[in-house]
Amino acid sequence: MIPWIIGGLAAIIIVIVVLLLFYYYNRIRILYNRIEEAWAQIDVQLKKRFDLLPNLVETVKGYAKHEKEIFEKVAKARQGMISGSREERIESSNQLTSTLKSLFAVAENYPILKANENFKLLQEQLEGIENKIAYARQYYNSSVLSYNNIITTIPGSWFAGNRTKHAFLTIPEEERSPVKVKF
Amino acid sequence: MAQTSFSDEIAKNKRSSLLLAIIVSLILFFLIYFIIYLLIPELVLIALPISTIIIITYTYSSYRFGDTVVLSATNAKPAQAREYQYLRDTIEGLSIASGIPPPKAYLIESEDINAFATGRNPENASIAVTTGLINTLNRQELEGVIGHEISHIKNRDILFMTLVAVLVGLAAIISHLILRSLWFGARRNRRDNNGIMILLLIVGIILAIIAPIATRLVQYALSRKREYLADASSVSLTRYPGGLASALEKIASKNQGRMNVSEAVSHLFFVDPKQTSLDSLFATHPPIKERIKRLRNM
Repeated sequence: MIPWIIGGLAAIIIVIVVLLLFYYYNRIRILYNRIEEAWAQIDVQLKKRFDLLPNLVETVKGYAKHEKEIFEKVAKARQGMISGSREERIESSNQLTSTLKSLFAVAENYPILKANENFKLLQEQLEGIENKIAYARQYYNSSVLSYNNIITTIPGSWFAGNRTKHAFLTIPEEERSPVKVKF
Repeated sequence: MAQTSFSDEIAKNKRSSLLLAIIVSLILFFLIYFIIYLLIPELVLIALPISTIIIITYTYSSYRFGDTVVLSATNAKPAQAREYQYLRDTIEGLSIASGIPPPKAYLIESEDINAFATGRNPENASIAVTTGLINTLNRQELEGVIGHEISHIKNRDILFMTLVAVLVGLAAIISHLILRSLWFGARRNRRDNNGIMILLLIVGIILAIIAPIATRLVQYALSRKREYLADASSVSLTRYPGGLASALEKIASKNQGRMNVSEAVSHLFFVDPKQTSLDSLFATHPPIKERIKRLRNM
């Protein structure tokens, strides 16, 4: 009689453990895939930005030829945005954001350029993309947080195997502080 | 923890929608049965297949086309012009931040500040805003309001709220039909006074059943918890409670109840479309002041 009871209990425990294993294996996989999907969202925006930049540079060159330094900076950050690790690409994207800021500031000195319809449209589109990159990065980081939470807390950590915490995408220092307006 | 509570909310909304569909199907079934029985008693046998067909058509079309009905009832037009690029960008950005596909953008011609979301799931959702909202709110305020609507989509509030809108609209039509059928029925049985009395009684009972159910549904769809939750999730998207709070403050001081929308859809809106800055006493929506207070305390 007693061996039967022990055997039955063992079977129940094994079934529970196997079910938990399935659940957490899938859960961890789903959360990991969500990070990949979030990266794909960032990637889409980076590529859109990559494609728009030559148009912008051409338009600005038509009116402000001698701003060579800025054009070079833009070209360098543009290339960096689509090659290298995620951190490097985001870093290039952040650099590009600040370079574009100075480019648009330079444009203020050229009233004809500023009035150019094409230029205005490009500026709007690029600003829209910048915002979307920021949102996509936020989704990426919150996906990383859910993933890190499940693999580091009990009971998820028992089933995490040798998975390690995923890295967050850091937010550039200047974006954290409020924008200063100077007159 | 937040993740669990959202998936609970999603499951609850799906259950509510299913329950609503079942209850409505049953009520409709008996109504159609009664109407046929009263008008043409000889044909009572075919009442069963007829009501089944009507119920399936109704349930499917309010699920599939509810958003179209609501958008056209509120006179919302697609926001396609270039000047609304900013609105579309904001909607797309916040949908990226919450991990849902971008909803379609619609525009309602009105000076009041208001917005709503509709659709059957995040893949088929729309957000409509008034022209007053675009002209009055600044960037942070717009983001706050859009974030609120995106949260309704993500939490699956939209399907339930849209089903209720279609139902309440339909209930008005049905009670109208019943009154008419009573009139024709009465003419048929002119010689039989007793029949008329019974008819009146039945219609009275049916109306008495429908009216409070419809009101209850609207109140439930408007549940304060739903709105506060959407406000809170909006803040978790925009990371800035001040934006939504100041949008609500502008609404409280500027809206004058100028929107010409039916009662059936008013619960979908961000704030009660009939509400002016004066009357908050009889408002069905959660009080704006309370919402602002909660946001300011975050």
